[in-house]
Amino acid sequence: MGEIVFKNICKSFGETKVIEDLNLTIRDGEFTVLVGASGCGKTTLLRMIAGIGPATSGELYIDGEEISDVPPGKRGIAMVFQNYAIYPTMTVKGNIEFGLKNRKIPKAERETLIAEVAETVGLTPYLKRKPSELSGGQRQRVALARAMVKKPKVFLLDEPLSNLDAKLRVSMRTELIELHHRLKTTFVYVTHDQTEAMSMADTIVLMDRGKIQQMASPMEIYNDPNNVFTAQFIGTPPMNIQKMKDGKHQLGYRAEKVQLSETKPDLLYARKAVVLTREMLGSETIYKLQLEEADDGSGKTAVMAKTPNLMFEVDSRVYIGVDRKDLYYFDEEGRRLRGDGISPSLEKMTAEGGES
Amino acid sequence: MYEYKKPNKKLLKVKKIVFAVISTFFKLLVCVIFAFPFLWMISTSFKTLYESLLYPPTLLPQNFTVDAYISLFEQVHLERYILNSLIILVSVTLLQVLIMVPAAYAFAKYNFKMKGVLFGAVMVAFMVPTQITFVSVFQMFSKMQLLDTLLPQIIPCICNAFGIFLLRQNFMQIPEELLESARLDEAGELKIMLKIMLPMSKSTLVTIMLLSMIGTWNSYFWPLVMTLHDSVRPITIAIQSLRNLEGGLEWPIIMAGNVILVLPVLILFFLASKKIIEAMAYRGVK
Repeated sequence: MGEIVFKNICKSFGETKVIEDLNLTIRDGEFTVLVGASGCGKTTLLRMIAGIGPATSGELYIDGEEISDVPPGKRGIAMVFQNYAIYPTMTVKGNIEFGLKNRKIPKAERETLIAEVAETVGLTPYLKRKPSELSGGQRQRVALARAMVKKPKVFLLDEPLSNLDAKLRVSMRTELIELHHRLKTTFVYVTHDQTEAMSMADTIVLMDRGKIQQMASPMEIYNDPNNVFTAQFIGTPPMNIQKMKDGKHQLGYRAEKVQLSETKPDLLYARKAVVLTREMLGSETIYKLQLEEADDGSGKTAVMAKTPNLMFEVDSRVYIGVDRKDLYYFDEEGRRLRGDGISPSLEKMTAEGGES
Repeated sequence: MYEYKKPNKKLLKVKKIVFAVISTFFKLLVCVIFAFPFLWMISTSFKTLYESLLYPPTLLPQNFTVDAYISLFEQVHLERYILNSLIILVSVTLLQVLIMVPAAYAFAKYNFKMKGVLFGAVMVAFMVPTQITFVSVFQMFSKMQLLDTLLPQIIPCICNAFGIFLLRQNFMQIPEELLESARLDEAGELKIMLKIMLPMSKSTLVTIMLLSMIGTWNSYFWPLVMTLHDSVRPITIAIQSLRNLEGGLEWPIIMAGNVILVLPVLILFFLASKKIIEAMAYRGVK
């Protein structure tokens, strides 16, 4: 099986330290998504597992075995690259077969394996074609088939859907989830798209500047973020974060928890606002609203609201309100305050808002 | 109001035809200018000596004869020279590929110490003309007592600096992911080079080989310097020496020799011209 453990991993490119002292355990059989903005080190981690971009220092284990010195082909992993990296001069069959041939698997066995995997991903009619004669989605399947046929302990996927058009991406997403259910092997999936992460992952590992910001299930990472970065990265639109009156603490609430009304609501957090823009998405409407005065007195500030309520026109004056249970508090460094960390004075400040 | 004037269709048609006629005429003219020396050469090679000296000259042979070709092989024994040329050609081409491909792969995809300096050396070798180096090369072979053999015609030519450069450029365009993917597929470096990189650079390789083959086949200066005896000389020198036959300038024989010299090059070009064009044009294979 395939449990992956990073221990005190560091990585630098020349002088630049990309990852510093990282510890991470990717659980066996899970669909783990590494997500973060570009340059956060997620692909670097993936390449370390593959053995094509070794760590500068630290230890890496698959199934309790230290693999830093094991060559890429012997690690029991398979990788799907962002640009597919299928061999353009070989046929589809040649592409799938290449790895098997290198492992000296006998021809009869190869044929069965290829037929099997081609059937699974729906490539059987295209086996004799060259990659240049295939569509983007079909090339993606070739890359998948090539990975699957090796029966690896771990699948590594580096933004495999980012070159596909929006519709295909969504359907491939479901297919990948199904594939994972069927194979029950470890999937490590890298993406910058938080929607992809939310929809596919068993566990999300959210990274920023080489550090893990939070590692949790999609539900937990959405409902219970550890810090401002996580709160703003996960969810669309990002969580509204406002500096509080003391200029230190920060207050956050999700756009989808904002309640709009014409009269002042009886909620802990209530502010006056003006509607700046309105985007109708059908089932929901996203409003961009402007508060006259931010809580910390820094002037006008914008917040987002997402609600089924579409009756407010641009420029109309409204009240925004957020329930007490939907408010998140963060300290100066952006760390989340929970339970006892939320003092009555903080809540008092929330209720008072910018009024002195 | 502005009135749309219908173009005179007939006039347009006439213009088109006139243009086509003129353009075709000039194209043909250029073709004739380029092809005429070749045709003249072929025609003369089939003439008798008497006819070749006639004034005014005849365009096509009046008495068609292959005597010139026969005497080329019976008197001059051209086949010996052809064999020498072929041995040189095949060895040079094969050895060039053997050296060029791994060198280009290393320069394109590996990082090693002194890479920049070494590649600079290759580029210098590519830029320095042979006329500058031949004296020292001559001395080297002289010291090794290898002059007047086939070896000094082969060994100094086996490193094709231009080829290394061109192939390296081509290899560099191949995305790194393909190599990584092959490494994940447990392919060794040799296999990556032969099964992934080379097939993707086939046209470039063919072009390089072709250019180098033509160069080797036509080389004159180098063998002239490095050899003394006819037994090791290539066809080019033999044909030059046709001018010094006892009977004076026998144009049909000289031209027949030139036809034989040019023929392989022409055949090669027609066989590979598609590949050459492919190599020079941008290929958008994803």
